[in-house]
Amino acid sequence: MNSASSHDLLSVKGLHKKYGAVTALRDVSFTVRRGEVTALLGDNGAGKSTTIKAIAGVAPADSGSIMLEGQEVQIRRPADATGLGIQTVYQDLALCDNLGICANLFLGRERVSGPFGMLRDVDMEEEARKVLKTLRVNLPALDTPVAALSGGQRQAVAIARAVLWGKKIVIMDEPTAALGVAQTAEVLRLVRDLAEQGFGVILITHNMQNVFEVADSVVVLRLGQTVMEERKSDLTPEEVVGCITGSRTTIGGMA
Amino acid sequence: MSAVNQMTTAQNNTKAPGWTQRLVSSTDLGMMPVIAALIAIWIVFEILNPHFLTPRNLSNLSAQIVVTGTLALAETLVILLGMIDLSIGWSSVVAASVFSVGTVFFNLPVWPCVFLAIGASVVIGFLQGILVSRVGVPSFVVSLGGAMIAEGLVLAMLTQHGGSVPLSDDLSTAVGTLDVPALWSWIISLALFALFAIVSLRRHTDRRRRGAGEAHSLFFAKLAFMLVVLVIGIGLLCAYQGVPVLLVIFLAALFACAFLTKSMRFGRHLYAVGGNVEAARRSGINVRFVQLAAFTLAGALVGLGGLLDAARLGVASATVGDSDIMLNAVAAAVIGGTSLFGGRGSVYGAFFGALVIASVTNGMDLIGAPSSVRFGVEGVILLAAITIDTILRQRRMRSGRA
Repeated sequence: MNSASSHDLLSVKGLHKKYGAVTALRDVSFTVRRGEVTALLGDNGAGKSTTIKAIAGVAPADSGSIMLEGQEVQIRRPADATGLGIQTVYQDLALCDNLGICANLFLGRERVSGPFGMLRDVDMEEEARKVLKTLRVNLPALDTPVAALSGGQRQAVAIARAVLWGKKIVIMDEPTAALGVAQTAEVLRLVRDLAEQGFGVILITHNMQNVFEVADSVVVLRLGQTVMEERKSDLTPEEVVGCITGSRTTIGGMA
Repeated sequence: MSAVNQMTTAQNNTKAPGWTQRLVSSTDLGMMPVIAALIAIWIVFEILNPHFLTPRNLSNLSAQIVVTGTLALAETLVILLGMIDLSIGWSSVVAASVFSVGTVFFNLPVWPCVFLAIGASVVIGFLQGILVSRVGVPSFVVSLGGAMIAEGLVLAMLTQHGGSVPLSDDLSTAVGTLDVPALWSWIISLALFALFAIVSLRRHTDRRRRGAGEAHSLFFAKLAFMLVVLVIGIGLLCAYQGVPVLLVIFLAALFACAFLTKSMRFGRHLYAVGGNVEAARRSGINVRFVQLAAFTLAGALVGLGGLLDAARLGVASATVGDSDIMLNAVAAAVIGGTSLFGGRGSVYGAFFGALVIASVTNGMDLIGAPSSVRFGVEGVILLAAITIDTILRQRRMRSGRA
């Protein structure tokens, strides 16, 4: 396979996963480089989400290997992935609507003091404000319940949480699916910013325009297998769509 | 500190129109409706019967909220998870039965019996929690079964003694009948308030210094409001006989629960699990532990509530479980603004909800209305509370998303 350059941050090789009688992943392999956005594409049921779940430790693969910075790592639980600096922004965002912005950012990792585990809300808010500033996102007061935020703001909170805790890799599952035009642009800017800050970003999307706007490399899955791994600059949208649908013919018309 | 005080009161005046607005739009005033309802209920009963708002009757009332309130605290912890515990009525009677049988028939010392009694309810809560959190059985069914088993336990303990056992120990007599004398009531309550004010003032200034937190005016308005309520409440109770010991115990439990749910990490996790289980799980929160702990803690509160009830009545009786003790507690939690869908609400709601229910019961008794009317009124209040809460929340979410 590829010789591992120092640029390579994460490479997965030969991931295989069965759900009962259904084979979700047959042979998924790809590499994510530092400071780059890798778009992970594929039709419904191609295995994108399963791949993400394997990397995030939510549903580990049956076989195959995951290498992080050249070292083979075992990811069996979400905590393993978190510990390795891998954070996932799920499609449903996994936010608690009833809690405030800051409470969501620190959910499960609250700063506490004293024998009773008293929350240090002020410290957490200060830290949160710093991260939000580096991301250049504007949010209302940090104790505002997430239920009161717009779709784009909720996405920003979820991304900010990933940045707050992820040190190396941020995985985003369809971050723009439910957003309007302006908010989509804002989220794509965030995605680009993250890559420029040195994160390896894995972006799952159906939107070919998004891919060609922000991605550096493109990975296409079909029926649980990697069928394409190329630099974006070598590709046209038609080629990618053809690969996703399996026709490989370059007839116009996008998914 | 006084300098700070003056400065902020000066700001207060200039910002006067702003803060009423903020008071209304603020999201942690989810108890405004129940407080408004309470005031309306009191006014109505005072008009119907001028004995309603006398120190003597309010003292009665304050003792009447204790059992419903304590059980409502337990129920609130479980409802915050998005679950329900229907066993709290019978489970509380189990605690009372254990206590009465232990002290009266086995002549055991009082304090071990207290722990044994609360322990019995804790075990019931814990076992239900195991089924709910480990196996994933719906809490509705688990606690329904738990209630039946608890009823069986009560009958097993009390039937041979004629279904009820009068208590004779000094502790339950003291708890059930004594009041804290006026002087001590004032000293203790004002000292506690001063402590609370200092702690929250320090927290508030720290927050403001770092550019966060609420406006000074709102902060001091809240503190002043609390002080006024405290002074009026203690004043009224002391005008009769002092603060009932029952009420003191309930308030201690209330504040402990408030600290647990608002200031501790466990409380944050409780709200998170109730708000979005999946998000909580993915954030690394031990969801099963939180659920189990909530049910177990609720069990402890239920045990306490059962003992307080027995102390108040002077008897451990199987008929208590048959009465509307459990439904009252659920109603109190919901009237207090705690959402049955989980994740929203507050333990203070249990206090106000219990106050509403006890006020209606007390007021109806005072004007000699039959039980049929009382149930009807309580039902209407419950439905009104949950409807208002639902509408307000929907409106809040809609305007927020626009």
